[in-house]
Amino acid sequence: MRIQVRRTGGFAGIERHAQVDTAGRPDADEWHALAEQAISAGQSTRPTGVPDGFGYEITVDGKTVYCADPRLTDEQRKLISRVLKEGA
Amino acid sequence: MTTNGGFEPVFCTIVPPHILDTLARHEDPALSGPALRTLMLDAQKRAERRITAEFGLAAAAAVKAPSDQPLRTIYDAGHRTDLPGTKVRAEGSDPGQDASVNRAYSGLGATFDLYLKAYQRHSIDGDGLPLDATVHYDEGYNNAFWDGKQMVFGDGDGQIFVDFTSSIDVIGHELTHGVTQHTANLTYYGQPGALNESMSDVFGSLIKQYALGQTADEADWLIGADLLAPGVTGTALRSMKEPGTAYDDDVLGKDPQPATMDGYVRTGRDNGGVHINSGIPNHAFYLVATALGGNAWERAGQIWYDVLTGGELGERAFFDDFAQLTVSTARVRYGDGDELQAVLKAWERVGVPITPRPRL
Repeated sequence: MRIQVRRTGGFAGIERHAQVDTAGRPDADEWHALAEQAISAGQSTRPTGVPDGFGYEITVDGKTVYCADPRLTDEQRKLISRVLKEGA
Repeated sequence: MTTNGGFEPVFCTIVPPHILDTLARHEDPALSGPALRTLMLDAQKRAERRITAEFGLAAAAAVKAPSDQPLRTIYDAGHRTDLPGTKVRAEGSDPGQDASVNRAYSGLGATFDLYLKAYQRHSIDGDGLPLDATVHYDEGYNNAFWDGKQMVFGDGDGQIFVDFTSSIDVIGHELTHGVTQHTANLTYYGQPGALNESMSDVFGSLIKQYALGQTADEADWLIGADLLAPGVTGTALRSMKEPGTAYDDDVLGKDPQPATMDGYVRTGRDNGGVHINSGIPNHAFYLVATALGGNAWERAGQIWYDVLTGGELGERAFFDDFAQLTVSTARVRYGDGDELQAVLKAWERVGVPITPRPRL
């Protein structure tokens, strides 16, 4: 499973992008569960969010959903933070 | 009905409400007028009694005239994301050990000061809205935002950004999103979104200039000058003087802001490039302020403030709608003088045409 996260906006307006390929990872099951929960709570269009809030695109195996600060689910927040930290 | 002045107070207490309702609907204004006024007075008296009973005498007094003092509360999210978090500093209390809390508190005060003293505006909503801010949001969070009711500050990750309370113009920027929300309410997307962002940069910078007592020539016209972590190649996040030159760094990339319409960026990301294209109206303000000289919050700031709060700027205004209103405002307030010329020249320099057209 390929999980991609793109973060846009924010006070600085600086974009960040990272992805994780779970193939062969010992914690792949955990990633899959997290990714599925994050995707199911996402929206099909970009929410406007709040001024200066981050907007996010989460793409899992080609399917993209959108969400925005501060209204993220715990799973979305966890997934975004892990992908941006551990991903390439 | 020349005796209405003496008649109404009696009317107020002894006439049963259903008779007042009937009179209020009467086609003769001599009868409906006093009845309507009585109903309004009566409703107001009831509201005042309720406010005094439920919120205390201080609240009832506050209804009559918003205070010239801010009402600040700072909360600590404790590196979590629940808002507002734990209350850590209230209005009038002494500074504590936490520098983020103290910086947020004084930044809110500086913002309140500029709006009150330069523009006679009482707080964000013009009616004494309490100012709330949360610090230490999330872990290493590289952002600050206005959530519609309060400000939220992250600590920064220490690699790219330091604490977002570090720059007073960042605090002013966030609170100005609140002012915009309560006034022109510019849609946060595309050109109106870039105008919304620009309002926050303009007044954020003015709040810093006012606090430091700097003239337009002395100001650095930078946004977030104290926000970049050591090691990042750049001077700030944005430059109103020279958009596109604030940073050029291995990790951050290069400042993408255009200064003129030639460089306008079309994109769906960042709410349609709101933090990118704001460089254009930002630079226009800089040009007006430096052409006029002296304190930028006075004439240049007054024109921009009048347009933002005057009620004619539409929620979906484009750059040229805004520009047109700055021209008419400059003429109304200052006549055919330096101010009008400075405004016309600034928009010409950034490539925004001034052509009267129907308002949105």
